[in-house]
Amino acid sequence: MLKKKRRCPIYDSKDITARKMMDLAVNDIKSNNKNKINLIWLEATGCSGNLISMLNAENPSADFLLKEMTNLKYNNSLMFAEGDAAYEQFLDTLETEFILVVEGAVSTRDNGQYNIIARYQGKAITAMEAIRIAGEKAKYVLAVGTCASFGGISAAAPNPSQSVSVPQFLNRQVIRVPGCPSHPDWVTGTIANLVAFGIPELDELGRPIMFYGITIHDRCTRRSYFDNGIFASRLGELGCMFKLGCRGPVTRTDCPVRQWNGYVNWPVEDNSPCIGCAGERFPDGMEPFVRF
Amino acid sequence: MANKITINPVTRISGFLEIEVEVEQNKIVNAKSSGLFFRGFEKMLKGRPPLDAIYFTERICGICSTAHSMASTLALEDVLKIYPNENDKMIREFMHGSEFIQNHLRHFYQFTIPDFVKGARMESSFITSHNDYRLPEEIDKELSEHYVKSLKYSRLAHEMTAVLGGKAPHNHGIFVGGVTVNMDSAKWIKIKSILSDIKIFVEDMLIPDVYKIAEYYSDYFNNGIGYKNLMSYGIFDSYTDNRAFYVAPSVIINGQYGTLDSDKITENIQNAWYELIRDEVSPIVTTVNENIHKENAYTWIKAPRYDGYAMEVGPLARMWLSGNYNRGISTMDRTIARVLEVKKIIEIMEVFLEKITMIPSNQGSYEFNQEAYGKGLVDTTRGALGHWTSVQNQTIQNYDIITPSSWNLSPEDSNGLKGTVEMALIGTNIQDIKNPVEIGRIVRSFDPCVSCATHVFSDKYSPLEIRVV
Repeated sequence: MLKKKRRCPIYDSKDITARKMMDLAVNDIKSNNKNKINLIWLEATGCSGNLISMLNAENPSADFLLKEMTNLKYNNSLMFAEGDAAYEQFLDTLETEFILVVEGAVSTRDNGQYNIIARYQGKAITAMEAIRIAGEKAKYVLAVGTCASFGGISAAAPNPSQSVSVPQFLNRQVIRVPGCPSHPDWVTGTIANLVAFGIPELDELGRPIMFYGITIHDRCTRRSYFDNGIFASRLGELGCMFKLGCRGPVTRTDCPVRQWNGYVNWPVEDNSPCIGCAGERFPDGMEPFVRF
Repeated sequence: MANKITINPVTRISGFLEIEVEVEQNKIVNAKSSGLFFRGFEKMLKGRPPLDAIYFTERICGICSTAHSMASTLALEDVLKIYPNENDKMIREFMHGSEFIQNHLRHFYQFTIPDFVKGARMESSFITSHNDYRLPEEIDKELSEHYVKSLKYSRLAHEMTAVLGGKAPHNHGIFVGGVTVNMDSAKWIKIKSILSDIKIFVEDMLIPDVYKIAEYYSDYFNNGIGYKNLMSYGIFDSYTDNRAFYVAPSVIINGQYGTLDSDKITENIQNAWYELIRDEVSPIVTTVNENIHKENAYTWIKAPRYDGYAMEVGPLARMWLSGNYNRGISTMDRTIARVLEVKKIIEIMEVFLEKITMIPSNQGSYEFNQEAYGKGLVDTTRGALGHWTSVQNQTIQNYDIITPSSWNLSPEDSNGLKGTVEMALIGTNIQDIKNPVEIGRIVRSFDPCVSCATHVFSDKYSPLEIRVV
């Protein structure tokens, strides 16, 4: 948990931005001639929205992360090669030092057959198998997004694909970077921390405390409305979203202070409730998302 | 003897797709498109609170989540018989327009041009599956720089969605009754400024770039043609101001133009991993269930048909049906139409900005007490998207989704009719059978999204006819 020597943790966590981490990491690489670490970004049972979110990153941008900080070796959405050549790139990287990012849950039904990511020399490769073999060899494993971290939408009842989270599936340390999608700063900041300093301080669920240490409610931009009992009764109203079912009180992210997409807005400031998309029990335990 | 070529993964698309073709004397004689990914959203949605469908179905797709928030909202509004005012409608269609820009920029620069431009890549090492790069070094270098530069503008497109909708992907701002944002001049000028920056990029780089590629790869005007049957559910088609009009719900079949009749939409599961089961409780009700062991099936994508025809949906279909493009139908035409559509959409968004007023949003509190049925049909980035739902006792009874990529990537149906992409591949000349670069280029021109395309649904309240043989 939070260390006592720090001053107000709210300001502390704001200071430790992804950019700062990236700068430190890049300096480290340059001054010590450290090798850039290889990166496998596997998309599994999800919507690939975490990759799209990561492309929204700015300072550091996505290309900065993928070119200056790491060597992107495998990613279905971005990579040049296709077919066997693509999968061989995955296999070759397993023999090196690499970070494994998984977005999406692990579909286990019928031994993974509901999510096939490649066919190599005639054999179907399931996402489940790819996560297993890469998970065994990776230096670090990041579960990016809520599906990979906790099962998320992909494991929503009745869970037709029998999806489980990456930490549940792999018998090793996995850093959870949840969010639906995960904020690009949470991803780039965590990777920068790994490159520059190793594993960041984590909470009991394996989430970096710098991003997930404090609930949304505790530093909500509409907290004073809550304290003064001014509640919105429908979406679109200026007021606290608590009575509409806001999950800010049980969701730990820094959305209110960080904000999204060029740091311009976030759901509560858009007059809608937080639906707890970064939470362990999303979505089933967070519904109804909106109640009147 | 035919050679069989299998490509999996087909990279630089959304989701997991396998393409298998048979080649005889360097010509594709048969093709199979297989979506290899299943989550079962319709099953998950059953029994949930109806309003949750909006934020829930967005999560079908990370690259086109705004599309699903639009279609689900329209379906729920149809259930409740409530309609947003024109101002709110323009605000949310502006958000949807931003999604088009984000998608098309990323599809062109991050997904398409690495097929044609050697230096356009994120990887630090150069690994490729072919060597058919034809651009002069200087142009290749220029387009490679644009590949990186474009990231700023696709990001800014999502920033516009976030200004109005809280965040992107998976916005909160599109909701039953209209939007949740209360428009003010600070937001208005911010999105206006961003849109004008994007427009400059589109006019100065995006559009010239696609024509540069077309010049050196002109043989791609002659492949990837397919049935030439085009369909759109319509988008930006309900305003009195003609400048904000884009395309009406319409089809072209065998060269004949017609208006869309959504009752002619059917789905077929002959070659998909689904089977009809009988509901034990009420035997009249039939349900479709997934079965990966079904013989001869090869995909999770069902085969939607319109009046029995396999239809092409997407930017080329829209640009053609609306009279904005008429050069031809092919791999390269599809890519050019997508790029030109960005400009068209920006021009319509400019009209919205001109007309949007600073009035508060118009939200209500909604109850779903009646048993009712609703549909939301709208054209989205990749083409025609439909959500159908029935609700009862404050819960979703049934939810059906047919996505654009289901239309384009469908398998053969029980009449032996091939899917749209399959047909577009058949007949293609493959120059080097060891490096069949043509296949990926043709398939990518359709902008496949397999995350969206694979669903299971039941047909109790559905307008959709399922044919099982």
